Amino acid sequence: MLASRALVRGLQSGFWRRVSTSSGARAAHPHDVDVLDCSAPQYNNRPDTPWPDVPFVRNLSAEQKKLKEKEKGPWTQLTKEEKLAIYRLTHELSFPEMNKGSKEWMTVLGGIFYFLGFTALLVWWQRVYVYGDVPHTFSQEWVEKQTQMMIDMRVNPVQGFSNKWDYEKKQWK
Amino acid sequence: MAHPAQMGFQDAATPVMEELLHFHDHALMIVYLISTMVFYIIVAMVTTELTNKYILDSQEIEIMWTALPAIILVLIAMPSIRVLYLMDEINDPHLTIKAMGHQWYWSYEYTDYENLTFDSYMTPTQDLTPGQFRLLETDHRMVVPTDAPIRVLVSAEDVLHSWAVPSLGVKMDAVPGRLNQTAFIASRAGVFYGQCSEICGANHSFMPIVVEAVPLEHFEIWTAMMMEDV
Repeated sequence: MLASRALVRGLQSGFWRRVSTSSGARAAHPHDVDVLDCSAPQYNNRPDTPWPDVPFVRNLSAEQKKLKEKEKGPWTQLTKEEKLAIYRLTHELSFPEMNKGSKEWMTVLGGIFYFLGFTALLVWWQRVYVYGDVPHTFSQEWVEKQTQMMIDMRVNPVQGFSNKWDYEKKQWK
Repeated sequence: MAHPAQMGFQDAATPVMEELLHFHDHALMIVYLISTMVFYIIVAMVTTELTNKYILDSQEIEIMWTALPAIILVLIAMPSIRVLYLMDEINDPHLTIKAMGHQWYWSYEYTDYENLTFDSYMTPTQDLTPGQFRLLETDHRMVVPTDAPIRVLVSAEDVLHSWAVPSLGVKMDAVPGRLNQTAFIASRAGVFYGQCSEICGANHSFMPIVVEAVPLEHFEIWTAMMMEDV
């Protein structure tokens, strides 16, 4: 029942067709046109490969073939529209169209801010509901006495802590 | 000791630590230069308008970016080996102290002349006098004379510990059944803090090391006082 022909045909005509690229699958369904053969040269729109391996339009119509014949002659006799049409036969997109970019960055940035905000929420909740008080040595009074002790002990006197204290004037430099 | 939110090293209290600081500055500067160059190249590659990038070759740049990293590595290795051998010098110590690691305290044995042995436990936070340093203070400090080569033999009685004092540029693993030797010369008087640097159980974070370097006369007074107490 699970291997019924209707079910198999349903799978093959939908999702499975996209991922199945074995030659067996192609042989079984020669009418499927969107199976990609990656071992053959392909067309691509990339600014760093200005001459793709194959032209964009492979199968020329009769009119396009006539245009290609005319291209073999002097180019001064081509009109501007013909030149553009010849370009579009070999290339899908022009450089400005390729390099245009999209508005995806706004979505990405928004997503980043969203997750940062969510993390901040988690951190705040943790501070309030999970962590206890800091030790009493963090109180203002203790830190003052501790700082005075560090100055008296000449902690890091060369370039560090005590170096920044002026011992004559008894103040920070 | 470190001050709050300190990013760099503590000031050196021994010549070896000074050399380590200078080497670190040298190596870090090279790292900054390389990172800046790589970052610049990445930005240039990503923002370039050039299209014909992959149809050229260049033997000159290939040679350059093979030879230059090798030269940079040599320039890092030379001072590194110099400091390494400096740390390993025969140094004819004036005093030998044994630092024994226990769970979870250190004990120090000054057995050159008399038999002075004492334990050094961390002062619990609730017993600190106002202004003392939390998790760093101990009841007894390891007192040493300044400007004298000191040899420290580090070992452990139970599990692995590690005797480390960053200002002195010293870290040595305490392995049970083994004596590890390290040495330093305290160039200035002061109190230098360190913490156990090898995981050793529940109170691994609570067995600090405090070394107090004092002039020789004061050191002799201290040893006399400790012998009376003990």
